[in-house]
Amino acid sequence: MKIKTIFTLCPSLILSVLLSVPSYASEPAEDPLSSVMWDYNRQIFLGDTPYVFDDRVRVGVPDFAEDPTQVPVDVDASAFAGDIQRIVAWADLNPIQHIFTYYPHPDVVPKVSLRIKVQQSTPVRAAVLTKDGVWHVGGNLLAASGGGCTTPSVGNADPYWESHLGETKSRVFQLADASRYKFRVIHPMDTGLVGSIPEFFIQQVELRDTRGSALVRMELSPPVSENPVITFDVAKQDTKHHLWLRDNNGNEFEKAL
Amino acid sequence: MSKFATGKGFAVTALVAAMSLSGMANAGVTDKDILNDQMTTGDVVSNGLGPRGQRYSPLTAVNTDTVQDLKAVWSFSFGGEKQRGQESQPMVKDGVMYVTGSYSRVFAVDVKTGDELWQYDARLPDGIMPCCDVINRGVALYGDLVIFGTLDAKLVALDKTTGKVKWKKKVGDYKAGYSLTAAPIVVKGKVITGVSGGEFGIVGKVEAYDAKTGKIAWTRPTVEGHMGYIWKDGKKVENGISGGKAGQTWPGDLWKTGGAATWLGGTYDPEVDLLFFGTGNPAPWNSHLRPGDNLFSSSRLAIDPDTGKIAWHFQTTPNDGWDFDGVNELISFDYKDGGKTVKAAATADRNGFMYVLNRENGDFIRGFPFVDEISWAKGLDKKGRPIYVDENRPGNPADSKDGKKGKAIRAVPSFLGGKNWMPMAFSQDTGLFYVPSNEWAMDIWNEPVSYKKGAAYLGAGFTISSLNDDYIGVLRAMDPKTGKEVWRYKNYAPLWGGVLATAGNLVFMGNPEGYLMAFDAKNGEMKYKFNTGSGIVGSPITWEMDGEQYVSVVSGWGGAVPLWGGEVAKRVKHLNQGGSVWTFKLPK
Repeated sequence: MKIKTIFTLCPSLILSVLLSVPSYASEPAEDPLSSVMWDYNRQIFLGDTPYVFDDRVRVGVPDFAEDPTQVPVDVDASAFAGDIQRIVAWADLNPIQHIFTYYPHPDVVPKVSLRIKVQQSTPVRAAVLTKDGVWHVGGNLLAASGGGCTTPSVGNADPYWESHLGETKSRVFQLADASRYKFRVIHPMDTGLVGSIPEFFIQQVELRDTRGSALVRMELSPPVSENPVITFDVAKQDTKHHLWLRDNNGNEFEKAL
Repeated sequence: MSKFATGKGFAVTALVAAMSLSGMANAGVTDKDILNDQMTTGDVVSNGLGPRGQRYSPLTAVNTDTVQDLKAVWSFSFGGEKQRGQESQPMVKDGVMYVTGSYSRVFAVDVKTGDELWQYDARLPDGIMPCCDVINRGVALYGDLVIFGTLDAKLVALDKTTGKVKWKKKVGDYKAGYSLTAAPIVVKGKVITGVSGGEFGIVGKVEAYDAKTGKIAWTRPTVEGHMGYIWKDGKKVENGISGGKAGQTWPGDLWKTGGAATWLGGTYDPEVDLLFFGTGNPAPWNSHLRPGDNLFSSSRLAIDPDTGKIAWHFQTTPNDGWDFDGVNELISFDYKDGGKTVKAAATADRNGFMYVLNRENGDFIRGFPFVDEISWAKGLDKKGRPIYVDENRPGNPADSKDGKKGKAIRAVPSFLGGKNWMPMAFSQDTGLFYVPSNEWAMDIWNEPVSYKKGAAYLGAGFTISSLNDDYIGVLRAMDPKTGKEVWRYKNYAPLWGGVLATAGNLVFMGNPEGYLMAFDAKNGEMKYKFNTGSGIVGSPITWEMDGEQYVSVVSGWGGAVPLWGGEVAKRVKHLNQGGSVWTFKLPK
């Protein structure tokens, strides 16, 4: 559908699409991670849109997930900076596959780091939809002993979160060409897969400038770890930023960075 | 295509927003729908089947001749491990039922099939403090929103199609004992709610919020001395102290933690344009600590829905010492007296008396007992004030030798009331009120107590006992013009569910034994019963779809009886918990 739209609206793009992605429709590429869930998840997250496996989408995972409830994952799509519609990340073998969807502004370095829960060893994927309507899919295998999604949140055993929900700690690091924002927010991020504990998680994250427009827009799913730690890189700017969060119960949190 | 593949780009979002806006104009619940709810039999969009709360339906297909053929068409389980008291009244609109379950859960169910459309589970902190089970009594509908209150004292508006949160507002601090259990009501575009927490020394209040946006419109404290506020152009403006000033009917500082929780919600009469909210016990229970009438505890308040000002009040138990909350629903109705129409309203109080008031000004018309025995008052005076039996007030601990326990007395009714939360019904055909009531007594004594945030603030000890071996519950048909009981149905366990009257000459109610029952409205003959598998403590509804009349009721034993029931618990401890909604109709 997207390809069709491009044909009718911008004939000049036809050529580039044809040149750069000549073979998707006829012969789907083989999943480099040989996952039994590839086709299933591709349908859910990419639909019928053309895709390529592309090493330039880098997904960093540890050698082994020592704590399956807190696995650091980095997604780096800086090779496509300025050319991105959105990034979707998922873990093939998690009971809830979707991890996040990320909508970067052109002023943002399209890199994000966060921690996730995993239920067993699984491919972790990131797919970058570029402006020409093609998905670039990267991924990596994560080895884990598992159980991360069906373990009650630590917060569940301790009422600390109840009086500190949404409290955020943040730091700004100055890099050579960017500012790195790292924040941690108190939230149980319950998956709803543990008996008697309903799904309760931060669903929307926005990094906003002083005028309120979003530099980064993220949609999270419950596999993001309890008390999420998320890092964004923003191209150097003079303006101040603040963080806006909303969970699926409708609680909203704001924090100046 | 899946939601991820199509994405949530700006164009799509705008399109969806446009669609839902046009949908609101066509299909959403309007103020008019709510006002006409009683006569529009195709839906149920208000708590009480109409803002007056009469719980009367003009439907006649299910009647005394046909009701024995009533058959269950589906049953929907609330699931989970959270099977506690289910006191909800379902709502039905455009083929979807909206019903709440214990632990602040909301379900949307396809009424044709019983299929779940969506479910919303509020994530509750462990520190919630419901006094009397983790129940919820139902939602309010407005526009494309489904609005309900949570046990951590939040008002939440959900999208009727997706179940996603549209807005959420904090009504009270759950750590101070506030919670929400009643169904909010919508009047003139405002969603209006009370609060629970009278056992924790909260200050009762009634609050109005813009139903579409959740912005607060006004707040009215129900304890004398507290300032009310109204929001004008987003600014909070003082709107008069409830009762004029502090210290008139309360000693010292006790009004600051005075209770008077508005925990059962309210009704509205468009004719006199007033909200009617009942208020609970003054805090603490030990009445010797707070000599005076303790306004506006154990009262009915008439409140202007536009300004939040108190138009009139009627106090049923001044200086309450028995936990006789005055929260019971005040139901507006008209009757003829010598050719003249009387704009009346009736309420059956926890204290055992039923009152008929002039709903324009709150004047007392008449009052009479609706239970067999009342020990604490000899009767009512001309203004409806109880004539106390002084020796039947629990004694002052200060008079005892060690100052630790006052003289215990045996009082009737018990603190759970001649009638508790379960709403009665008024039939426009028989002119009778159908009052679910209980016959029980209590031993009660006072103890010293001081206020501590988030701790029980009672200053009393108590046990409860039954008056009769063969029954506690009594469903009564009461004539509001004479105070006479026309018929009664006796039930072994205490009754704890709401009543529904229909033009089919029927009265429906459930019992803790699990039966949905239907009675002949004129003589009380039981015409139908069906066991739903767990105790019924919810309120039945009826509506019409595709030319057929449906009846629905929520099943799931719980509420305050098994928690506080004392000796009475023996009669109910074998009853099993549940959590489901049953729907019935006649075979074609």
